[in-house]
Amino acid sequence: MSSNEAESAYFKRFARWKLIVLILILALILTITFAITVGPKQISPIDAYKIVIDKIPFIGDLITSSSSSMEEAVIIDVRLPRILGAALVGIALTVAGVVLQGLFRNPMADPYLIGISAGAGLGASLSMAFGIGLSFFGVLYSIPLMAFIFAIGTVFLVYTLSKTGEEVPMLTLLLVGIAVNLFLMAINSIIRLYSGEAVHAILAWLFGTLVPCNWNYVKIALPFVVVGVALIYVFARDLNIMLLGEEQAHHLGVDTERLKKILLVSATLITAAAVSISGTIGFIGLIIPHIARILVGPDHRILIPSSALTGAIVLILCDTAARTISRPMELPVGIITALLGAPFFIYLVRRKKRSVIR
Amino acid sequence: MVNLRISDIDCYYGSIKALDNINFSVREGEFVGILGPNGSGKTTALRAISRTLKPRVGTIFLDDQNIYDMENREVAKTVAVVPQESISTFDFTALDIVLMGRNPYIDRFRQESREDLAIAKRVMELTNTWSFAERPVNELSGGEKQRVIIARALTQEPKILLLDEPTSHLDIGNQLEIMDLIKRLCETKKLLIIAVFHDFNLAARYCDSIILLKEGKIVAVGKSEETLTSENVRKVFSVDTIVKKHPVTGFLHVIPVSRPLNQKQKTLSIHLISGCGTGSLLMKILKDEGYFVTAGVLNLLDTDQETAQLLKIPITSEAPFSPITEESHTANLKMISKANAVVITPTQFGDGNLRNLEAAESGLKKGIPTVLIDNGSIEERDFTNGKATKYLGSLKSKGAITVKSNNELLELLDKLERKNNKNSHHRKGTNPVK
Repeated sequence: MSSNEAESAYFKRFARWKLIVLILILALILTITFAITVGPKQISPIDAYKIVIDKIPFIGDLITSSSSSMEEAVIIDVRLPRILGAALVGIALTVAGVVLQGLFRNPMADPYLIGISAGAGLGASLSMAFGIGLSFFGVLYSIPLMAFIFAIGTVFLVYTLSKTGEEVPMLTLLLVGIAVNLFLMAINSIIRLYSGEAVHAILAWLFGTLVPCNWNYVKIALPFVVVGVALIYVFARDLNIMLLGEEQAHHLGVDTERLKKILLVSATLITAAAVSISGTIGFIGLIIPHIARILVGPDHRILIPSSALTGAIVLILCDTAARTISRPMELPVGIITALLGAPFFIYLVRRKKRSVIR
Repeated sequence: MVNLRISDIDCYYGSIKALDNINFSVREGEFVGILGPNGSGKTTALRAISRTLKPRVGTIFLDDQNIYDMENREVAKTVAVVPQESISTFDFTALDIVLMGRNPYIDRFRQESREDLAIAKRVMELTNTWSFAERPVNELSGGEKQRVIIARALTQEPKILLLDEPTSHLDIGNQLEIMDLIKRLCETKKLLIIAVFHDFNLAARYCDSIILLKEGKIVAVGKSEETLTSENVRKVFSVDTIVKKHPVTGFLHVIPVSRPLNQKQKTLSIHLISGCGTGSLLMKILKDEGYFVTAGVLNLLDTDQETAQLLKIPITSEAPFSPITEESHTANLKMISKANAVVITPTQFGDGNLRNLEAAESGLKKGIPTVLIDNGSIEERDFTNGKATKYLGSLKSKGAITVKSNNELLELLDKLERKNNKNSHHRKGTNPVK
């Protein structure tokens, strides 16, 4: 290869990255447009746009929506918050998955690895079964906040238990995480046994569902996801270097202990925020990072944005399927992600073995 | 001027002391090798210097600055590490990996600049890796991968390069190519290099000085000729070796010698008449079998003479390249008279050493069993116009036994040994020379 060729190829890829992100953003907009129009009441994309734009301050004054107030209510109060919720959850779970797979250098890692799902599940179950937290947080916020607090608390417990001296060895963290997960799941099973009627709600939550997602939920998750993902993206290059192993990353000037702390805290916060509004949706955080890696390569500077957008798109589509395919009954979206995700993932792994982590 | 001073450090893994009072300093342009058995603390020493394992006692100074007080990125601009083997995860290209070496120079919110790429390109050309810059590292061979890692270390533009057995997984061609490259960097760029080795010969070939570690302590430090002695190697590795300067390469060569299987001392004393290396292997075999071995007359600098010296075999010697004098002949006769058997190896005979055959003949006359190892090439080895051939023929006719191989000889000696043992039951005597 001529030297200039490799050189220009290297700088071309920054342009290619921008193009990829642009295409994915367009795809996301199309996905949202599609999802917002589909449902028991079909609404045309134009009308949907008009309704949404009408609600935006200043710009909204420029157009007039001719839609009925019923259509407006469906779009603004029901579909839009749910779609945005799905997008946030998709982004959060995927980015957390990328971070944990990178930090653990393990293709099996997912956002729930270090106890978040079991912790959140316990908090949510306690709230649903026994009404714990109800009086303190109120009806609207009791489940998400209990889930959030228990998720963070569990990760903190896992982290503390894994600490040896001043360091937190990643392997210990992984093993303690698995143990604590199993322990809390056992407790959660006991709660389910005594939860009476609430058992259906708990099961739906554990599979993951966006049915209860409203603007309040979006408002809970939004700040955490935005700040957490931005912070993670700032450390994308460090995360690349972490893939060489902690010792080598240290030799290349990365403050590995600090980086691990920042990334673990960020990943935990965004995952906990996602779980608190949607329950424990599986497979997204495991599979989307792999799909994105196959498509754009291992560099986290492109992997993080492209997998985040892909995660949002996929989860919106899955949720649209969840609320439409067996109408009037809703399926938990976690079932859809697992049913579609697992076979598709196996297909990808078999088709292009070499690009999945070695 | 870069100066690295390792100042009385103790390192621990938990409660286990891995380094005990290590103290040395290295200057720029110096190539230091660390040798020692497994678990002797070699890698630990590198980890302490690269700030991976903080010493509990003492510290490391880089130009009078305590490296443990420095910023991570500052250290990474000065010290680069090449690990033993790199984990390769995901499909980064060789260029991606090499550019990671620029990390300490790139601000958090910036991408790699053209200048960074130019530096990466330069070192990749130097390390012969630019041709596969865009290939995923996972698809590279061991040698290519290691060169990529060295390129990455060099893009850090370090002044100090730490290498942990950089070539232990590579074939000999790749080993030499990589070590030559590192040596060249040491000389041209005045890099300070500290490398851990398992291979004595590689260390002796490339290092200016060598540190021998055992159980976390420095046993010897200095130039390779001073440190890599057979005594030190035995002390550190409990292995017997022959250490010699190789005539062709001029480098020290450390050759391990197998340990004797049967150390039970036998009663027979065997005198060897050899030369030109024809007796060297036999000396080792007979010693290992437990025989008492003598040899002579051997010229100084003869291979057999050097072997005898290494194996501590008593010999009658003569000045280099000189004919056997009356004096050494007499000494040789005396040695033969104390032996239980004389063995003549298929060596070359010239006028200078013909008297050895004369000595053998007188031994035979005294009834000392004499064995000729004959490979059937006596005419080719005879440089005395047939005198040696005649001598050997007359030895045969006077009762000297001919064997074809060392194994045959050992069988024969075994019989003699048993006979000798039986005799010594009846009458105490025929003691071997002491």
